[in-house]
Amino acid sequence: MNSSLLFGISIFVYFFAMVLYVSFLAFRSEGLGKVATGCLMAGVAIETTAIGMRWYESYQLGIGRAPLTNLYESLVFFALTIAVVYLILENKYKIRTVGAFVTPFPFIIMAYASLNPNDIQPLVPALKSNWLISHVVTCFVGYAAFAVSFGVSILYLFKARAERVAPKTPGLVLGYVPDSGALDEISYKTIAIGFPLLTIGIVTGAFWANVAWGTYWSWDPKETWSLIVWFIYAAYLHARITRGWRGTRAAVLSIVGFSATIFCYLGVNLILSGLHSYGGGR
Amino acid sequence: MSPSKSDTTPKPNVTDRIWNLFTSLKLVILLLLILSALSIAGTIIEQNKPLQEYYRYLKPSTVALFNSLGLLDMYHSWWFVTCLGLLALNIIACTMDRYAPIMSGLKKKNLLLDESLEKSLNPKDKIKYALPLNDIEQIVMELAGKSFGGKPVVTTAEDGSRHYFFEKGKYSRLAFFFTHVSVLVIFIGALVGSFFGYKGYVNIHEGEMINRLETRTGKMQNLDFSIKCNAFTADFYPNGMPKDYISDLSVIKDGKEVLRKNIKVNDPLSFQGITFYQSSYGALPEGAQLEVRNQDGSLLGVVEAPLSQRVAVPGLQEQVEVADYQEHFHLPDGSEGGAAVGVNIYPEKGQPFGIWLLAADPAYDKMRNGPYYLLVKDMKLKKYTGLQVNKDPGEWFVWLGALLMIGGIMVAFFMSHKKLWVCLRKDKKGRTDLTIGGTTNKNRTVFVREVEGIIQRLKEVS
Repeated sequence: MNSSLLFGISIFVYFFAMVLYVSFLAFRSEGLGKVATGCLMAGVAIETTAIGMRWYESYQLGIGRAPLTNLYESLVFFALTIAVVYLILENKYKIRTVGAFVTPFPFIIMAYASLNPNDIQPLVPALKSNWLISHVVTCFVGYAAFAVSFGVSILYLFKARAERVAPKTPGLVLGYVPDSGALDEISYKTIAIGFPLLTIGIVTGAFWANVAWGTYWSWDPKETWSLIVWFIYAAYLHARITRGWRGTRAAVLSIVGFSATIFCYLGVNLILSGLHSYGGGR
Repeated sequence: MSPSKSDTTPKPNVTDRIWNLFTSLKLVILLLLILSALSIAGTIIEQNKPLQEYYRYLKPSTVALFNSLGLLDMYHSWWFVTCLGLLALNIIACTMDRYAPIMSGLKKKNLLLDESLEKSLNPKDKIKYALPLNDIEQIVMELAGKSFGGKPVVTTAEDGSRHYFFEKGKYSRLAFFFTHVSVLVIFIGALVGSFFGYKGYVNIHEGEMINRLETRTGKMQNLDFSIKCNAFTADFYPNGMPKDYISDLSVIKDGKEVLRKNIKVNDPLSFQGITFYQSSYGALPEGAQLEVRNQDGSLLGVVEAPLSQRVAVPGLQEQVEVADYQEHFHLPDGSEGGAAVGVNIYPEKGQPFGIWLLAADPAYDKMRNGPYYLLVKDMKLKKYTGLQVNKDPGEWFVWLGALLMIGGIMVAFFMSHKKLWVCLRKDKKGRTDLTIGGTTNKNRTVFVREVEGIIQRLKEVS
């Protein structure tokens, strides 16, 4: 038993969780919904164990470091945080129907991760820092919250359209999801979690950069894109709080925000060059 | 139109209009959009590269145009800085605009639960008790005090009713100031850093010391102490990946060593507000022993050439100078040629020119087809460490601003100003009428649930 095998199993478990959530939405059986949630929890448990084992294996190799330092490891961690953030919100807001729109993320991300080299490499000097864990964890939990908000916003757009077109007879499937007002509120609440975390992620990154390179801000592409993401969600929050932006406009901003987040995470590493190059492929 | 009429509905004058512009959401959104678009442009056009890098994929005229527009160093261009300045003005105006309402929100205390206040509250309820007022008061204090942290302000009205005002999280209203002022504090930090600080870079050979360095703006900056590099070590993992870069540095002041430290990439040395960071490393030859041979391979002579000194070639009116060194020299076909020494040749007549000699290939210079060829017989390398140098008296403002911002955002999202009023009225038979109601500025759903819980428990009392 090693971590690679467990990661492989977790891909399948996430796949089944996704199928179960979609079936739950289609057949609206409470029992099926509980199985879907259970399956996603199992995926989280297996993946958490796998990450723990990878950490342990790095010590056995005499390297000994947190598994958060290259593209493969960050993708794996991103999938886990999305699943965890979603499970917490599902439990808090009773929104199991949203699962069909969020659970594809962990599966797709894990499947994509498996295409990347996954050997455990030792840390280069720039990454040997106590700031590594706090910086990476806050950023990725923030990204995960934005991902969940994105899924909810997509669902919102479908639901709001169904409510407009046929207020009395919503479709069989969409009739079962929470009303658009609730979706809008959940999308906002999720961003309200992601935004402070992104802020902490940027600040810890700046502090770390100052210790490593002698400058807290150097307009490196990663820094710049994280600032752009921050701007978009800051605009979302200002429009919502001071001008009461709700509904479609808010949902579109949330979708734009997550698209920028994905570019900040993957696009910058894979397309642009800069100081964060160790996050890229090889 | 009579003048008096126009007085009652004055057109906004210029100052008002500017003020309205700077406190408008439109300007904020517009600025954030412009800044985002410019920033994106800056990540697509690589910034601050040496000019020759741009010539590789842009026309010279395009490079010249981009350069004059500031597009190659756009984060420091006047137009980008102007946008940041407008954002700062925008934040200042909005903060001033919100000052009065927020302060009055802190002060205003309706201590009496009268009918008009009652109407504005949600949730609210009325309960009748057969118990005496003092008993109910005790229970109210206990139940409401638990969620609203502490004792209420108690007022007895003229009609003899008693009013209890509970309040929690009043100062969460100040979160607005924290989040917005924090951005200004960070800007101030950046300004202080750029006016009173500098960034630079310096190479120090092992065993040597420096007391001045070149800053990023090209000026020479004197230090009032010296930095000596005692040794530099590069450690590698068995697979060849770098493990650690370590410089053993000493700070020398007035001829005495006052501080000594091994610095690594994430562990710099600070002295008198100036910080030295491990940034790069390399090696330069102290000098090289060069052999001069005829094209047929016969030896003409041997030259001892110290770094950067011209020495004569035996038997010829020419001079050579060891000028450069590369650890990984790239051959014209793109393959790696290993260590190479850069030599300048000063012929008797004509222009001086530079050649590269490969340490591993003694016949490399033969291909030049000159009257003779050179080869490296021996060289003594001297390692150097490359240090990033930073003086930034503004960074403490930046960290203070960052903390204010994080704290402010946390308070803004996760705390709210909650108010709860309870009124107890004694009727003639000694029974008690209770009125309860509350309000909050955020998170209404959670608040309603909380207060309804209190009401439920009050109803269970009999």
